[in-house]
Amino acid sequence: MHSLTDYIRLYFVIETQYIKARMQYRADFIISSIGMFFSSLATLGVFWVIFSSIPDLAGWTFLQLVFIYGFYMIAISPMQILFDNIWQIRFHVLQGTFLKYYFRPLNMMFYYMSEVFDLKGLTQLAAGIILLIYTSIQLHIDWTLARVALLIVTLFSASLVQISITLMAGCAAFWVLDSYPVLGLAWKLREFAPYPMNIFDGAFRFTFTYIIPLGFIAFYPSQLFLQPQQVSPLIYFSPIVGIGLFALTYWIWTLGVNSYTGTGS
Amino acid sequence: MKSYLALLRGSYMVGLVYRFGFLFSIAGNIIYMSVTYFLWHSIYHGRETMHGLTFDQTYIYVALGSAVFILLKTYVDWQMSYDIREGMIASYLIKPIDLQLYELFMSFGYFLMSLSAITIPTILLLIFVFRVEIPLGVGLLIFPFSLIMAYLINFCFDYFVGLLGFYTESVWGLSITKEIIITVLSGALIPLQFFPDAIQKILLWLPFQAIYYTPLTMVAQPTLGWDTFLPMLGIQLFWVAALFGLTRLFYNQAIRVLRISGG
Repeated sequence: MHSLTDYIRLYFVIETQYIKARMQYRADFIISSIGMFFSSLATLGVFWVIFSSIPDLAGWTFLQLVFIYGFYMIAISPMQILFDNIWQIRFHVLQGTFLKYYFRPLNMMFYYMSEVFDLKGLTQLAAGIILLIYTSIQLHIDWTLARVALLIVTLFSASLVQISITLMAGCAAFWVLDSYPVLGLAWKLREFAPYPMNIFDGAFRFTFTYIIPLGFIAFYPSQLFLQPQQVSPLIYFSPIVGIGLFALTYWIWTLGVNSYTGTGS
Repeated sequence: MKSYLALLRGSYMVGLVYRFGFLFSIAGNIIYMSVTYFLWHSIYHGRETMHGLTFDQTYIYVALGSAVFILLKTYVDWQMSYDIREGMIASYLIKPIDLQLYELFMSFGYFLMSLSAITIPTILLLIFVFRVEIPLGVGLLIFPFSLIMAYLINFCFDYFVGLLGFYTESVWGLSITKEIIITVLSGALIPLQFFPDAIQKILLWLPFQAIYYTPLTMVAQPTLGWDTFLPMLGIQLFWVAALFGLTRLFYNQAIRVLRISGG
């Protein structure tokens, strides 16, 4: 068995080599980063156009929504950067190349995900951080030590929720021929995470809180900083939601990996 | 012509294999339509009209927009990039067919497939489950023609990015950038009326509005009449001709740099 420090050291070794290899395609990296940057800004553009007609959306101002969006962009970055290989599961499973991951004395999920380190995701992370800093200055958010700690904990849980939802969808590949539609649905759902949950009626709010907990990716945690007096007590469960969901996902992954029998070439 | 029709039939049949996927696409559409319903409900906040549009008109516009969005996905850029990387593009180039028409007819099979499997069910859902009343008007009659022209314009952009694949290693960044530019500037997500006036004027001069804004307006406000719709169709026709011509010219340039390895 390897210890956690072994894995962290190993991860750095693998990714250093990976980044060196990727840097051969410098133009591709630059174009992809620009693409990532634009796609991050699209939703902001939509907010901006909408707010040119209305003063607030269900009680939220433009700046507050930008704050939520910044939080969201940071929260989805770990999935983009560290777990981008989720999208390839279906190809590996279909073509039989998934078999190679069984033959290393390493944790399989670690080995599989370490194969890709998505550099363009760093653009998204940077844009998220800039938006969060800019809006917290504009909104006069007082960053006490306790709040910073809260930010880190909630971001960590939010990232786990996002990783879990996408990875679960990706794992569908172990059971169905083409998991792309499932992944596509998960990807589309993700886009609703930065919307204020109070625009939804009961059934949808319930679904996005308890069944597909999109609310925990950005809205509920952001409320802690934007409207500390109106926070729903739910948010204090966010680490449990994040860790619990990831544990469930890991279990599904293990089931999938164990049931995979390979394909003939 | 006959050989192109064979391509069309072939790609339609390939699309049929992925029946399972349609269920998820429709499910995704239902969720999207519900979410946009709540979103626009909060935006209207009891107002009768905004920028001359009632809530119903705006909702038909954005909900139908999501169905059209799936329909207009040609995947031509991804497919071409894949074919270039794998060297398969060579086998198309040596055949006595035109690459542009080849890609068009291949993707048009998927268009017919998604039309019957995703877009029409979505419209039926919109009418019978979401209980949206679409008023009858001349706009509905010309909507199909407008939609096909929108498809052709969108195809030109995808094909253009596909040709750029002759120059770069991967088209991921270019495809995403193209998609975002089209989605935001075409009025796919918000009717153009909601944009600030100055920006609206600029957008009407660009080809993107002919992809979403034009066909969607014909269904959202079908009673506007021929005076409005005829110029809109004319502009669409202009962009179809212009972009088809431009991409053909660009092909002659791009084909010179193509290097194929493997295959």
